[in-house]
Amino acid sequence: MKSFGREGAAGILLVLPPLLLLALLILYPAAEAVLGTLRVERAGHVIYSLDRYRDMLQTVSLRRSVGFTLMVTVISAGATFLLAYPLALYLRFTRGWVSSALMALFIVPLFIPVVIASFAMVTFLENHGYVETLLHYVGIEGLPPLMFNAVGIVLTEVWASIPFATLVLLAGLQAIDDSLIDSARDVGAGPLRTFVSVILPLNTVATIISLSFLFIGILGSFTIPYLVGGNAPQMMSVVMTNYFTNYLRPEISVALAAISFVIAALAGAAYVMGVARRETA
Amino acid sequence: MTGGSVFWFLSVGAFRRGLAILFLVGLAVFILGPLLSLVLWAFAGQWFYPALLPQEFSLKWWTVVFGNRGVMESIKYSLMTAPTVTALSIIICLPAAYAFARFEFPGRRLLLLSFLSANSFPKIGLYISIATLFYRMNLMTTFWGVVLIQLVGTLLFMIWIPTGTFRGINRSLEEAARDVGASGLRTFLQITLPIAMPGLLVATLFAFLAAFDEAQGTLIVGSPNFITMPVMMYTLVLNYPQPVGAVFSILLTLPSLVLLLLAQRLLRQGYLAAGYAL
Repeated sequence: MKSFGREGAAGILLVLPPLLLLALLILYPAAEAVLGTLRVERAGHVIYSLDRYRDMLQTVSLRRSVGFTLMVTVISAGATFLLAYPLALYLRFTRGWVSSALMALFIVPLFIPVVIASFAMVTFLENHGYVETLLHYVGIEGLPPLMFNAVGIVLTEVWASIPFATLVLLAGLQAIDDSLIDSARDVGAGPLRTFVSVILPLNTVATIISLSFLFIGILGSFTIPYLVGGNAPQMMSVVMTNYFTNYLRPEISVALAAISFVIAALAGAAYVMGVARRETA
Repeated sequence: MTGGSVFWFLSVGAFRRGLAILFLVGLAVFILGPLLSLVLWAFAGQWFYPALLPQEFSLKWWTVVFGNRGVMESIKYSLMTAPTVTALSIIICLPAAYAFARFEFPGRRLLLLSFLSANSFPKIGLYISIATLFYRMNLMTTFWGVVLIQLVGTLLFMIWIPTGTFRGINRSLEEAARDVGASGLRTFLQITLPIAMPGLLVATLFAFLAAFDEAQGTLIVGSPNFITMPVMMYTLVLNYPQPVGAVFSILLTLPSLVLLLLAQRLLRQGYLAAGYAL
């Protein structure tokens, strides 16, 4: 057994404050939210049951909201990933002015507050917005609505998530040794083959982290669906906030919060298991 | 080059270049288009479809925004909370980051990873859970409630980026200073801290922006007493004419843009990317 001594004690003392904060502000409230919704009082006794969830999911609007949230979240996360991966590949393997321009460009949304991004998207995509104006001059009319519906939410979520996804994937790609790629080329692998059998497997960790954080980030986003989404169906985050602040039914919003934690945990677990299976196969 | 592949055209230089430029243009329209349209709205006196530019430019909406009492209050609250959150985050997180990078103690790696949990919960669900706790602690609609909820979003940056920075400093420099008789504190202040400064600045910058731009949690915990600028933006977008929201957007983006320009050099040197390497 290694002795840690004074240095170890000092280390623990220094990391204690942020850990306490983490426990108080994140772990405790989250655990309490999940446990609290399972606690039901029956005939003077406190018991644990799923009754509250059953009641809640029998409400049609809430059930629709959960389904809508899952659909929008999966599509947004997938679209961002499919856009960010080629971008990260290009930035990693190509030098030149196009690469520098892309580098300066993709980072921009990171510095724009989400509230503003949502509003900018509204002015861009709304009925008679800038996109419609531009298309009018090219002679295209009668576009389906791009704003205040799922399309608007997805486009805005992608806009806001590009920097994060690209940065994570790029950091992963930069950790891959050039010599591995060169040797794949040397034995005659084309660009596609090199990508599928060398780069993709070596970048698994970044792929999982970007996908799961995209999913969780979008699942928990409120501003974008609130400002850019329609009236019905609404995403869970909007419903949750409405029940909390407007309808004064915090117990429903906490139960929805707990459901979102469970969905996030399941998504995380699915990714981890998927990878574990591929590693052992 | 390799022959026989269906994707043979991908290896033709001109084609690849053309494709890349097309991608660049598409991405530029997608990312910059909404922002340009927003800026135009901020200076529009009159703008009716289908004109490409406003029929009349005007600054009248700027006076409307600056004349709004709620707006001025929100600027005051934002200037109170964001710096407080940043300062608290520095005091709480930087010593911990140094310990994570330099000291050996049991569970170090696991504890460092535990900070990922700050970003592993769907945010709005977490804020609602925190708010129910704050009700019991009488922190709802208070200054410190807002500060604490904004602190949540700074934890991961302020631990991970500085830990990476401290870890990247060559220990032999510190040892050399100790060898010529410098005390531990002096070595830290004169050797370690100056070398770490750029990384620490990037982390601080991101913590400040995270706090300054936080809207969702502040809306739940702070309103109606503490309406900060991003929360005010909800009201302006939903209840005022479009140019008012556009003007306020520019005001709200200014701090980010100024800080971005100031930090350009640091960002280019890869301190930001370092924070995303896992």
